[in-house]
Amino acid sequence: MRNEKSLKELEKLGQDTLKMITKKEPPYVELPVRSLSNIFFDEKSKTIKMGDKTSKRYFLNTAHTRKYAQTISIASEIKKIIKEDATISIRDLYYALKHTLKGSKENLLENQSESDPILEDLEATLGLLREELNLTASTKGVIAGSLTVKDGKDIIDLGKMGSGGWGVPSNVEPETIDIKNVDADFVLFIEKDAVWKRFNEDKFWQKHKCIIITGKGQPARAERRLVQRFNKEFNLPVYALMDADPWGFYIYSVIKRGSISLSYSEEKLATPDTKYIGLTVSDVEKYKIPDNVTIKLNDEDTKRIKEMKDYPWFKNKAWQNELDLMKKRNYKLELEALSRKGIRFITEEYLPDKIKNKDFLP
Amino acid sequence: MVENNNLKEHSVAEFFKKNRHMLGLFGKLRSLTTIVHEFVANSIDACEEAGVLPEIEVKLVKLGEEHFEVHVIDNGPGIDEKNLSKALGKLLVGTKFHRLIQMRGQQGIGASGCILFSQMTTGKPTKVISGNNCKSVYMELGINVERNEPLISSKKYLDKEFKGLAISSEFKEVDYQDSNQNALEYLKRTAIANPHVTIKFLDPFNKMFVFERSVNVIPPKPLEINPHIKSVDTDTLLTNAKSSDAKTVIGYMKDTYDRVGDRFFEDLQKSLGKDLNLKDMTKKELDWGKSEKIVKAIQKTKTISPKTDALIPISEDSLTLSIKNILKPEIFYVLTRKPTTYKGGFPFVVEVAISYGGNSGRLLKDGSVKSEIMRFANRTPLLFDPGACAITNAVNSINWKRYHIRDFENEPITIIVNLCSVHIPYTSVGKQAVAEEQEIIDEIKLALMTAARQISNYISRKMKHGLKLERKKMFERYSYEIARALEILTGTKQAELLPKIEEIILKKLELEEEQEQKENKEIKEELEENVIDEEKKEETKTGKLKDKKLNEFSEE
Repeated sequence: MRNEKSLKELEKLGQDTLKMITKKEPPYVELPVRSLSNIFFDEKSKTIKMGDKTSKRYFLNTAHTRKYAQTISIASEIKKIIKEDATISIRDLYYALKHTLKGSKENLLENQSESDPILEDLEATLGLLREELNLTASTKGVIAGSLTVKDGKDIIDLGKMGSGGWGVPSNVEPETIDIKNVDADFVLFIEKDAVWKRFNEDKFWQKHKCIIITGKGQPARAERRLVQRFNKEFNLPVYALMDADPWGFYIYSVIKRGSISLSYSEEKLATPDTKYIGLTVSDVEKYKIPDNVTIKLNDEDTKRIKEMKDYPWFKNKAWQNELDLMKKRNYKLELEALSRKGIRFITEEYLPDKIKNKDFLP
Repeated sequence: MVENNNLKEHSVAEFFKKNRHMLGLFGKLRSLTTIVHEFVANSIDACEEAGVLPEIEVKLVKLGEEHFEVHVIDNGPGIDEKNLSKALGKLLVGTKFHRLIQMRGQQGIGASGCILFSQMTTGKPTKVISGNNCKSVYMELGINVERNEPLISSKKYLDKEFKGLAISSEFKEVDYQDSNQNALEYLKRTAIANPHVTIKFLDPFNKMFVFERSVNVIPPKPLEINPHIKSVDTDTLLTNAKSSDAKTVIGYMKDTYDRVGDRFFEDLQKSLGKDLNLKDMTKKELDWGKSEKIVKAIQKTKTISPKTDALIPISEDSLTLSIKNILKPEIFYVLTRKPTTYKGGFPFVVEVAISYGGNSGRLLKDGSVKSEIMRFANRTPLLFDPGACAITNAVNSINWKRYHIRDFENEPITIIVNLCSVHIPYTSVGKQAVAEEQEIIDEIKLALMTAARQISNYISRKMKHGLKLERKKMFERYSYEIARALEILTGTKQAELLPKIEEIILKKLELEEEQEQKENKEIKEELEENVIDEEKKEETKTGKLKDKKLNEFSEE
């Protein structure tokens, strides 16, 4: 049983700590380093992976004390949840543990931004995903297309979800979500909700036989996991449609290769086959987009461009050219800018043309 | 038409009646403190002159709105009947006005000024009892303002034996409040700076305060000295000539001023040049023009520093005892500097003390403690005009952080500065603020820096200890969380876990302590050297400044 494995890992953490205390040694937990210094690009899986650097979090190091207590407390709370066979959200977890420390006005957790990273630490050190720890994160992504899913006992036709689409649940593992009757040639991962709505309203997925999905900005892991499943289980190519700006490029990079903070689980989340379909700065000439819909780059943009030029997966001619061009022209543009050419330009001309010509960035 | 009597001469008493602020008698709170000060200062001076350890009782009785009765009783020699009315009922009768001697009151208008103020605000005479171990005399006394003469409205002899002087006087337009400028604060500070004095005070709320003496020795009497030659001005040179028995100017100057020898007159003659020949000049020949020339030449002439014998500081030993007795600090340091001079002619000595913890600092109503600066001039507390005072500015110019006093304003610290001089350079007639004489400021700063260095080690140790306690508490707070979580994870009971965790915390802190002590030993000497170096730099800086000033003086 899956949960037995999680329980065993949590109990082992407890036993290790108990051993240190019995030996009168100041206790600590050893955690993989979740920062840029400890990730690498794995050529085999083509995703970001976490290295084997670890750091120790000590109870009696003043700078660690609070985090150490939070780590052990969260571990114990998760054990309780699994024992009760319940599944709760990470926000529930935060509230369940929020209490005042004995003899002070201090709370064990002041807000959720304290518990979330510690949960990620635990996932990384236990080698378990939060779903395996009976935890869910809130999701915001929506999806539509010609396919059905079986969610528990419910069978849902994603072609009949109206204008809102189907909300992606937090756990999309095969044990929970069964994907069936897929009638699509590709997956279109759209950055923005407003643009996704345009595609859904125009029934783009029907006309072009695809699945459209958005994470409403930076996608949660469920959307990424689901897209990876389409790619791996159904061999569907994945195309990313993002703003032509450093943030859009970054989201594409996370979908394709993974993120630094979740590097320990990117093998299960990233989709290395993803291709960048648009928007690009070079599209401005190609599709005769007027100059006046572009936005001037700010300092942060320029900085991000410089950083991204060094990402291993952007170290190819096409991306280097695109990044150089953006910097040279000193502008970026949003997907909505295409509406200048007519509101259906994006669904009826731009995207079909891109797909037909296989005009992608790698 | 101008009538003749409009041109009549005003008496000194009349002048002060119209200018009472010159006596410090303005502001309701300030007036009452000034009154207590004048009577008490007179009492202490009288006792000391008579060789009696002073014991002063002060009582304030509230008679009505802004209406108080002030009682001051001392154990001094009293004033004999013949002089009693004159001493208290005539302004400017003190014996100290034209003498260069370090005393509390300098102008002899204090007590009689208060009696005048009482008369002005209540119309009533002041009651006085004076005795010297024999029959005592009782008087009701006022002042004839027009003639500046005492006005005795009642007089009788008492059978009771009494030794000392007792004054009881009523005042209106005065008030008493909880303040760091009230009579209580004045008396407390007086007790600190005068460890040989016992003061009992009954405040208007019937609360008794007793400041017992800390030493049983009366400080030596200050010696009377002639004024230093460099301190003389044209008018004084001319005026004092009249009261000298000498015939020649040189003879007059020799017996009236300090530090004038044959060598000085040789140099002075060089400075004067051919303009004026001092030799054989008679006093009669001395006029304003000549006097002016001589004074100018004196400033250009090198002189020997003045005698400093006339200065009687509180002394480190006595101040130590009174601080222990009254402030009961955790730690303090007392320092008396060597005598020096300002403006080339006026000798002075600076005494400082830094007192930390205990009753040091000023306790506010909300329970918090602020630092406080106690300023003294010849042992007399200066309570008013702190912002205008060179002492305050010198204290505030110290970089207290260097001495581990992070937040000077909000620490339990009392800074005591006593400036002793035969001539305190006050900024105004109120005599509550010392003027900004660079030499005085430098001396105060150097004294404070030396004292602060002694205090800083203690404070830094205390702060470190506080931090350690804070850390221990933090570890303990979180150890409950860890025990609770481990019970869930392992099934081991919290009660079993907690003592073990506590033991680990203690062991860790002990180890750190040992490590720290080892490191401290190594860096302590190095650190001390650094601080001393820094101060030396500052000392040479101010020292150079002083030299420069002196040079300017003689080159002029």
